[in-house]
Amino acid sequence: MIEQAAAEIAPAQHDDVLRVEGLSKSYGRFAALKDVSLTVRRGTIHGLLGENGAGKSTLVGLISGQRQPTGGRILLNGMQVQGHDVKQMEKAGVFLVTQEPMIVDHMTAAENLLLGIWPHRRGFIDWNAIKSDATRMLEGTEIDPGALAGKLDAVSRRKLNILRAMFSGGKIIILDEPTTSLNVDARRQLFDFMRRLRGDGVTFIFISHYNDEILEICDAVSVLRDGQLAGNSDRVSEMTSDQLSELVLGRGLSLFQRERTEFADDASGFLFSDVRGRNVNIGEFRISAGEIVGFAGLPGSGAKELARSLFGLHATRHGRMQAAGEAATALPRNPSEAYRKGIAFLSDDRRRDGLIGHLSIGQNMSLSSLFALSRRGFIDRRAEDSIIHRYFSGMGVKAASPDVPIDTLSGGNQQKVCLGRVMATDPRILILDEPTRGIDVGVKQDVHRIIDRLSREGVAVIVVTTDSDEMIRLVDRVCIFAGGRIERELRGDQITKERLREIGGE
Amino acid sequence: MSEMSMKLEQASSGARTGISGRAILGWLLHNVVWIWLVMLVVIFGLFNPFFFTIFNLQNILVQATVLGMLAVAVSLPLLVAEIDLSIPANLGFSSAVGALATVEYGMPWWLGMATGVGVSTLIGFFNGLCITRLRMVSLIQTLSMMIILQGALLALTQGKTITSLSEGYTWIGQAAIDGWPIMPLVFLLTLVAMAILLRRTVLGRSIYAVGGNALAANSAGIRVDRIKIAAYTIAGFLAGVGGYLLASWQMAITSSQGESFLLYAIAAPIIGGVSVFGGRGNVIGVLGGVMLLTVIQVGLAIIAVPSFYVGMIGGFMIFIAVAIDAIRVRYFS
Repeated sequence: MIEQAAAEIAPAQHDDVLRVEGLSKSYGRFAALKDVSLTVRRGTIHGLLGENGAGKSTLVGLISGQRQPTGGRILLNGMQVQGHDVKQMEKAGVFLVTQEPMIVDHMTAAENLLLGIWPHRRGFIDWNAIKSDATRMLEGTEIDPGALAGKLDAVSRRKLNILRAMFSGGKIIILDEPTTSLNVDARRQLFDFMRRLRGDGVTFIFISHYNDEILEICDAVSVLRDGQLAGNSDRVSEMTSDQLSELVLGRGLSLFQRERTEFADDASGFLFSDVRGRNVNIGEFRISAGEIVGFAGLPGSGAKELARSLFGLHATRHGRMQAAGEAATALPRNPSEAYRKGIAFLSDDRRRDGLIGHLSIGQNMSLSSLFALSRRGFIDRRAEDSIIHRYFSGMGVKAASPDVPIDTLSGGNQQKVCLGRVMATDPRILILDEPTRGIDVGVKQDVHRIIDRLSREGVAVIVVTTDSDEMIRLVDRVCIFAGGRIERELRGDQITKERLREIGGE
Repeated sequence: MSEMSMKLEQASSGARTGISGRAILGWLLHNVVWIWLVMLVVIFGLFNPFFFTIFNLQNILVQATVLGMLAVAVSLPLLVAEIDLSIPANLGFSSAVGALATVEYGMPWWLGMATGVGVSTLIGFFNGLCITRLRMVSLIQTLSMMIILQGALLALTQGKTITSLSEGYTWIGQAAIDGWPIMPLVFLLTLVAMAILLRRTVLGRSIYAVGGNALAANSAGIRVDRIKIAAYTIAGFLAGVGGYLLASWQMAITSSQGESFLLYAIAAPIIGGVSVFGGRGNVIGVLGGVMLLTVIQVGLAIIAVPSFYVGMIGGFMIFIAVAIDAIRVRYFS
């Protein structure tokens, strides 16, 4: 069932739309991809799985013509590709749709769809043609051709990108982690959409971190590890998540599972009251020291909003907070105040508001503790170095030194640095928004262990997550949000995939 | 110190790739401003040996001082990913206020100077408030401030040149020890102070963080608005000091004082590697940019290029520096 990498490659068949033979890519002495061979069949969804840095991006970069291989060849419909560049590969029908949606926000969906290939007559854009072409293409997607792209939701934007690739002649469409920042419902919509297009004969190469996504949507899968092909399967339906994890990691993976604790609902922890603002309407929320509480809910349900309110990133009116044995105070009005009150927060979007790209790893780590590390405005170098050293090694960041720019790290390592930054402030309450989104399953276990250890040191932790697996493995209590309120709570044995799914509206 | 770090940098890049031609080329391009500076000095000196004299060096240092103060001032808003076009106009206006206070109202020279610097600092602070609290776009806000201040200077002077500045007021611009003018010392002190501010203080680190990613800096607990206001305020202060130096050196304030500095004051830090997108740049780079522009100006004057060609040739030399730097960024980073 699982062919090993070295297995014989079957002779080309007419339905092998893409074949890669012995493909390699080296940068100097570093081999990013070593002798990878695989076959993608026409009209299938072919999964590409692997940890960060396993070579997924390199491989699709070669296939889409963005980079030149240093060895091996690529065959499209049995014909070897001569020379590689993006234009040529697109002409041959291979399109890469990246995570960053290449969409112009202030143009309409229709204009975006035909971006750069606007039908024109004598140099003037033929608006009627745009409208009718776009309307035809958008049929059945529930996207209004006249809507501004900036106003569309995440899933519509992804669909728009895929459609644009198709309309430009795409036969093989490579999707680089297309489910990033999509909620459960949107993800299902996207998958339905992909299945429909597959029915029309489009071939997808689907890059993902998530086993369950691969199992749900893919017909075949190739797993990369350390730049090499770790395994192949043409029958994903017969595989299990554990088998995939083993291929990805190359060893039996021990998944982290927290021992849940039941915390008394008394006044021993922290009490937040009267938190009211847009999409939040919370009378009372309690959390104990050492407890991990999960927040679940669709976008706009109040889960994210409450988390951000407690940190001063979401405007609220007259909310109060009270720690056991202390007087009640107002909620922080900005992050700076929140840190002083012992509340730390990690955003779900590292690139947007998590890290500062051209500062070093160390400087990113100490950023939130600068005031604590300074005297009369001058940074105490020794104190800073000791904190950087502690979290650099303590978090297991994989980099040559803390002086390296953080830009050069993989997503998982960047997340560790961000986590180190908030932990270095010695918070009493730590709020984490999607702490393991977009990082691979190995690093995910590390992050879960770090959070667990922190809670045992007495930190109250709030985890906002749409990942039900994470919820089950990490938290003591789940708060399910709807309409700005906490609608239900699950504790102990109540926290199961089925219950979460049921309540999540699936 | 800098030589050692240079060697280390070379050594480490050598270890990664082997000492290849490409690594050397990358290093040369990385230091293009300084290499270009040395080359121009040699070229100008070959045209006219007077360029190599001590006297000319002293001249260049004096010429570089006011531009240097302005360039450091302009760097600060650039580092927080904003811009301040009103700095040279602020220099002219504030120095006129200070000078008139001494000439017309009999203030002692030092109080007049302090008044001028106080006014420029307040203008910088006000710019910061507009850009943060009112969310005005810095390009347009400071452009309008520039026009206001230029107009205000003209109104204040009624188109005349302010002269008869007191001896105390002009001392710093005229004093010399053994023929070495002391005015460049102010620029040197400013560079040192700015280097310490940027490298050693919380404010400095925060400036880089805000310029690098303002949203992330906010989430990390940095008061982004305050940092931007601080950057603008310090920039205003430096413009005021520069204004005092210029007036003291020229012993006069014209009705368009400072205007001619605008483009050079913005070009110098950018040539020196301060990113217009914020978060990148350092004091040594700014110094390089300032020296390069000054050497071009002085050199073209000394080798007696007919004045009709000075602007064009000077512009072309700046263009080459910027183009080489763009090539470096494109292929070597």
